[in-house]
Amino acid sequence: MRVSAGCVDGIECTSDEGVGIRVAVPGHGFGFAATREATKTGLELALARAVAIARALPASSPRAPWPAVSPARGHWASACKIDPFALSLDERLELLLKAEALMRGDPRIVRGVAESLAIRTVVAFASSDGAAFTQERTECGGGISAYAAADGESQLRSYPSGHGGSVALAGHEHLLALDLPAHAPRVAEEALALLSAAPCPAGRTTLVVGDEQLALQIHESIGHALELDRILLGEASYAGASWVSPTDVGTLRYGSPLLAISADATLPGGLGSFGWDDEGVAAQRTMLIEDGVLRATLSDRESAAAIGAASGGAARADGFARQPIVRMTNVSLEPGDAGTLEQLIADVPSGVYMETNRSWSIDDRRLHFQFGTEIGREIRDGKLGRLLRNPTYAGATPQFWNSLDAVASAPAWRLWGLLNCGKGEPGQYAHVSHGTPPARFRDVEVGVLR
Amino acid sequence: MNGEGELALAHRALAHLGGDQAQATVTHERSLFSRFARSTATQATVIDDTSVEMLCVLDGHTGAASTNQVDDEGLEDAARLARGAATAAARSGPGAYPGLPQPAPTTAHRGYDPATATLDAGAAGCALAAAFARCREAGLEAFGIWTAGEVTTAIASSTGVAVADGVTDASMTVIARDNGGRSGYATSTAVAAGTIDAAALAAAAVAKVTRDDPATLAPGEYTVVLDHAAVGTLLDFLGSLAFNGLAHTELRGALSGLIGARVAAPCINLADSTRVPGTLPRSFDAEGVPKRPLPLIQDGIAHAVVYDTRTAALARTSSTGHALAPGGSPDGPEPVNLVLAGGDAATLEELCAPIKRGLFVTRLWYVNTVEPRRALLTGMTRDGTFLIEDGAIGRPLHDVRFTDSALRILAATEQLTAAQRLVSDTDQYGRRFAKGVLCPALRAGAFRVSGGSA
Repeated sequence: MRVSAGCVDGIECTSDEGVGIRVAVPGHGFGFAATREATKTGLELALARAVAIARALPASSPRAPWPAVSPARGHWASACKIDPFALSLDERLELLLKAEALMRGDPRIVRGVAESLAIRTVVAFASSDGAAFTQERTECGGGISAYAAADGESQLRSYPSGHGGSVALAGHEHLLALDLPAHAPRVAEEALALLSAAPCPAGRTTLVVGDEQLALQIHESIGHALELDRILLGEASYAGASWVSPTDVGTLRYGSPLLAISADATLPGGLGSFGWDDEGVAAQRTMLIEDGVLRATLSDRESAAAIGAASGGAARADGFARQPIVRMTNVSLEPGDAGTLEQLIADVPSGVYMETNRSWSIDDRRLHFQFGTEIGREIRDGKLGRLLRNPTYAGATPQFWNSLDAVASAPAWRLWGLLNCGKGEPGQYAHVSHGTPPARFRDVEVGVLR
Repeated sequence: MNGEGELALAHRALAHLGGDQAQATVTHERSLFSRFARSTATQATVIDDTSVEMLCVLDGHTGAASTNQVDDEGLEDAARLARGAATAAARSGPGAYPGLPQPAPTTAHRGYDPATATLDAGAAGCALAAAFARCREAGLEAFGIWTAGEVTTAIASSTGVAVADGVTDASMTVIARDNGGRSGYATSTAVAAGTIDAAALAAAAVAKVTRDDPATLAPGEYTVVLDHAAVGTLLDFLGSLAFNGLAHTELRGALSGLIGARVAAPCINLADSTRVPGTLPRSFDAEGVPKRPLPLIQDGIAHAVVYDTRTAALARTSSTGHALAPGGSPDGPEPVNLVLAGGDAATLEELCAPIKRGLFVTRLWYVNTVEPRRALLTGMTRDGTFLIEDGAIGRPLHDVRFTDSALRILAATEQLTAAQRLVSDTDQYGRRFAKGVLCPALRAGAFRVSGGSA
């Protein structure tokens, strides 16, 4: 549901159900078909379609055999203290209307938006390996945004994050904890202030990155780069490949010794958490990078088998009508020992602080990136200074992560959810989370093409 | 395709909605996808699904629900949810939605090919085999996708709208790649799968893979030749940044305050049109409003932006038939059939001829908006970036990052090819929605390279 300009922009309720069938046809690739007809006839027709399309394609060399996995059995459900579907629409709307109203007043605020969502996914899975399980996931969250425009300039400010707000594997309690109304006046004030703020200066400097923006940096330059199907060129035509090679595991220095990255599908609240992945492999926690050195990749059964390994449990499908592919779970930067955000900044004589993602772009090997954030602040003599508008920074993945020189401590670690991770053909959106505290990087290019 | 079954279902769904103002939209997709990597078929997907979107309008508010359960029980559940949503929204006070549009005559189009609608997986197999063979001859591996789909849409509303439309689309992309990672790209999209020549596509991709070591281009401003795919991507982004009637009205659009002003070179004539041969046409938008040609930039002068019913009311004008969702998308309308008129250059070589030193870009990748008000974009080049020296395409370049305004590039455009191609960014994430930009290649005197990937 979404509210703007004092009105309900719209409330949408979507319900889909069906069955997806994936077959491995010897001598061919995978075939997949889905049907909403969950009858014996409907399922047999879908199975026939899946087999037929696989057989219609050119023959291929035999696949590497998949290592056996313990058959997944049982039921798993995510935590949900307040069931969002048990609440009235009025109750859920009231929160949004209140938050949106608190952003209005100045005519330069041309649009305030308050939005929330709740998703429940129920899966029943069975495979010819003997797996038979069910799981239920509830996701909930939201956010607010203020658009300001005047004198040929327009700016956007959001809370708690851009692109629709913060979503977690949780119930309505997550949305309540965000306390959107309390932040609404500040969001509007900052949007207005950005209209006349100084442009982000251009040059190389120390960059302190807020946790929400750093979550996307992890997503784009570490998470995607470590998907094994990309590394093996399986996604080269669309999502792209990776600058990492299969032989880099165990030796590649990905970043400074402060860099420790986990992939944890057991993390409470993470959108990448589950009981079993969509190939029936149990959720697991794996260190991808330790002390700055690459230790593992994200894999499904097929990509792992190709390098003689067991699946990393990262096969995920966007609903019943899409086949599982390698996706992130919850890929997170482990906390450091540098204290608070203020302590990170205190050690910076001159630099820039950036928070809340607005723009992102990275090449098809996940090597060269450029990000923009909603807001920046100058850092002078260890303190935050004037506001900066349209801040951007750019770099190359290994150089950037090797310039990491401080990671804030555990109390500053936050989990950020993303709903729009696109990959695959036909396209699939994965819901993933990234935990991270703020961190500091030296000698980074900022203010690209100012 | 006649859409009678889908229209009957839409009427059946509408009956469940009741009330004064309601719309039911039925979308039926049948499609095939065959992906390949390293000259091997990897994933194949068959989709055959129907969804029903119910829209209920109450006191200027909309409530929507969708389902793929099309029996009476499923439709009644969705109708109840849509009514409940509209009722809850209406309790917040009067809303801004002006009401569902009245029926208006639609125009037939040439966007449906019965042969493509048969969705023969054998055709995919033949296409992949042809691409594999051509790449193998060149010592390269083939990566890409072949896909074809048929989508039927029917809308019935309480105002009397009762329309149905069927479209087909097919596309194939081939990336030829050597062991060192050097790659070339070719793609083709059309209404009819039979017009896509897999061997020719693979040959075009192979031709962009050269054995020379790539050179590095320093950041700076260069004269550029953008091949069709690159132009299409820029225009697709411009579609949402410059012509969205909601952002425009709220002074957030790249053309806000600039209608009637020069925003591009005189050779730029951009329209949204489903009637030009080569587009992926459709008869009506998501509110059932007929599609009509709409000039957007004429001889470099900004002429118009696009509206749906909701944003047209805000701007005190009429819908131009660009609603993206029943009741209008909360993010506003966009053009989905952009057509950039061709110029007088017979070939890409003719575009390159006047350039002393510049670059040739096959395609752009991972483009995103940096500053929407200026249509400032950033992205990478990919799969065929070359140095132009002394009027000819020469050495390959490492891919570069550009950070530039799409409007600035159009303002610096000097010449366009006569030939246009359809550059498609068909949405396959939810329900298949074929769309594309019909455009020529162009030469622009200014293109800002902000970094590289050596």
